[in-house]
Amino acid sequence: MESLIGLNCSTIECTSLSPTAPIWQDVLAQAITGELLAAMNYTSLSEICDDPEEIADALEHAAIERGHAARFATEGRKIGVDVSNNVDAKHWKRLREAFLRCVTERDFIGCLIVQEIMLESFAVASYARVGKVAPGSLGKTFASIAAEEEEHVDHAMAILRAERALDAQRFDDKVYRLHLDVMTTLATMLAKECKDGHCEVCAGNCVKPSLREVSLSAAELRGASLQQYLKTLDMLGIPGEVTLVWVTQLPV
Amino acid sequence: MGDSVASLARRERTIQGQTFRGQTSEVDFALIGHQESWRAASDVLSVLRGPERTPLPDDEIKDILPWIPPRAVCHVEVGSIVGAKVRGLYIDSFIPPNRLEAGYVHENIARVRAAAACAIQAGAKIVSLGGFSSILIEGDFDQLPERHDTVFTTGNTLTVGYIVEGIKKMCALEGRDLRRSTLLIVGATGDVGSGCARCLAPLVKRVLLSARNVERLRRLAAELQADRVQVEIATDLQENDLLEDNRQRFSSEADVVICAASLASPSLLLGRIAPEAIVCDAGYPKNLSPNAEMPGAKIFFGGLGQITGGLRFTPDFHGILNRHPFPDVVHGCLLEGMALALEGRFEPFSQGRGFITPQRVEEMETIAARHGIYLAPLYNGDGPVEDCYARCVAPSLPLRSLGQGLRSCGTDTPVRRF
Repeated sequence: MESLIGLNCSTIECTSLSPTAPIWQDVLAQAITGELLAAMNYTSLSEICDDPEEIADALEHAAIERGHAARFATEGRKIGVDVSNNVDAKHWKRLREAFLRCVTERDFIGCLIVQEIMLESFAVASYARVGKVAPGSLGKTFASIAAEEEEHVDHAMAILRAERALDAQRFDDKVYRLHLDVMTTLATMLAKECKDGHCEVCAGNCVKPSLREVSLSAAELRGASLQQYLKTLDMLGIPGEVTLVWVTQLPV
Repeated sequence: MGDSVASLARRERTIQGQTFRGQTSEVDFALIGHQESWRAASDVLSVLRGPERTPLPDDEIKDILPWIPPRAVCHVEVGSIVGAKVRGLYIDSFIPPNRLEAGYVHENIARVRAAAACAIQAGAKIVSLGGFSSILIEGDFDQLPERHDTVFTTGNTLTVGYIVEGIKKMCALEGRDLRRSTLLIVGATGDVGSGCARCLAPLVKRVLLSARNVERLRRLAAELQADRVQVEIATDLQENDLLEDNRQRFSSEADVVICAASLASPSLLLGRIAPEAIVCDAGYPKNLSPNAEMPGAKIFFGGLGQITGGLRFTPDFHGILNRHPFPDVVHGCLLEGMALALEGRFEPFSQGRGFITPQRVEEMETIAARHGIYLAPLYNGDGPVEDCYARCVAPSLPLRSLGQGLRSCGTDTPVRRF
């Protein structure tokens, strides 16, 4: 699969290719794609900010996400694989389009909800799980980036909680509308099997059935991501019985 | 980007405070529970998904449920026969039905704590802990989060009350004289088991106590013996361990049995009990194994009460959260919080282990009855128990012949469906 965005990384000497390297290659491809998409989203967000300081903040976030992508690419080279990325892959493209709709509407809060509440929940939870089982520096990198992403969420939470305090019903309606759009796509992406064809990110066949070989599973990554999402919505103050219904109605 | 983060955060603190105060007046009680089986869990998720969506396959439910953090599932409104009405929440700890074993104790305590935090955050004035939620922390309420104005009760006092009432009712239906009975309590040193022992020991001929902890058994036996009750103890019903007086087994077979053990699944095999013994399965989850061989046993599920003043779930979880063949039947442990809320007595009525006395049980049952909460009609895995007596026995027959009536209904075969 052709990389759509190149990553400028230093050359790392390859060690011998382990039997699980192709699995990590696909895991890294998804992670790099997610990071690059996040970088693109923050860059787009900067275009609707008025305050110069906040423009700088958004661009700084974009740079951080690109840095994460580069670190993942470096980890790929360490295990002897060249990791591609594809921000135009079908699911990721839909997620980008959902974000861009908020940008078009100059909906700053909507942008934060999509990126910080939905996409970052997925990133934080899945990176943390991968961090626990991936070997050596690969695992450390996933764990460390998971922690950094969690800080992003904390930063956005204060803004979003304040916004909800102004009009809880309007805020919750907005989150639900975006949930239907974004989380439906994420849930399809996270399903135990890719029922509607190749995801356009994995290098070969779908990586999901092979995850067991590295003590992971698609079900675990989905469960952890949705749990993180629910906990984040709890922190926003949206009633738990409401968000429970949202999540149980997602496709499997 | 509009307002600065700092100014927005200040506004949030102010308004959140108002919101929280607003919520406190809306939630009188909270009920913390968990699902006893995957079927029950599946039904809960089906209601949440709505009728227009296909139910989740079983394998997906087993994959998804363990990841759901404890949270409110529905609102509950309870009416009293004297007109009062209280509102509450049912909070599910989402302990997976296959993870009740000791190996998951820390994870499950964390779940109960998180569920308790939900109740506190919602501003519940009193919280009842159902099933394993209370077993996990009944000995140590300090494991709960900081409680503000919320009080917690295990609800075990009312559970004991309904178990005892159920035994008395079943004996009456069967024409048995409780004073001539040998009572076996399995899980005797637990809060519910020991409460049942204190209530029933003075009323029976002999008490057999079974539990895993021999020291606790001895302490309870000594307490009952001080009141001149004949007591024997054993730690293993199957092996009938040698414990006292060189006896290899209980010296007599029990004809009345209460199963109140903290078992992760219905796995109890009772071993030697009298033919046609009355057996009350009071477990949450149920105790008795579907493979239990108890020829002629009269089994019923104990510790259940019925609300007669009205019970409403929003969304509608009737028959899902309370899976019983009669309307508005609920576990006694959960009913205790509702009854206390209706009474306006927001106090930790049942706490700790081993403090349930006949006097406290009577007080709790009186409170519940004042609001129209009574012992539920008896039933077992085959359905209602009392219907069978009513169908088979003419009203004019003396009570003693009721047992004969039950047999002629064909219900004296072992009950194996739980």
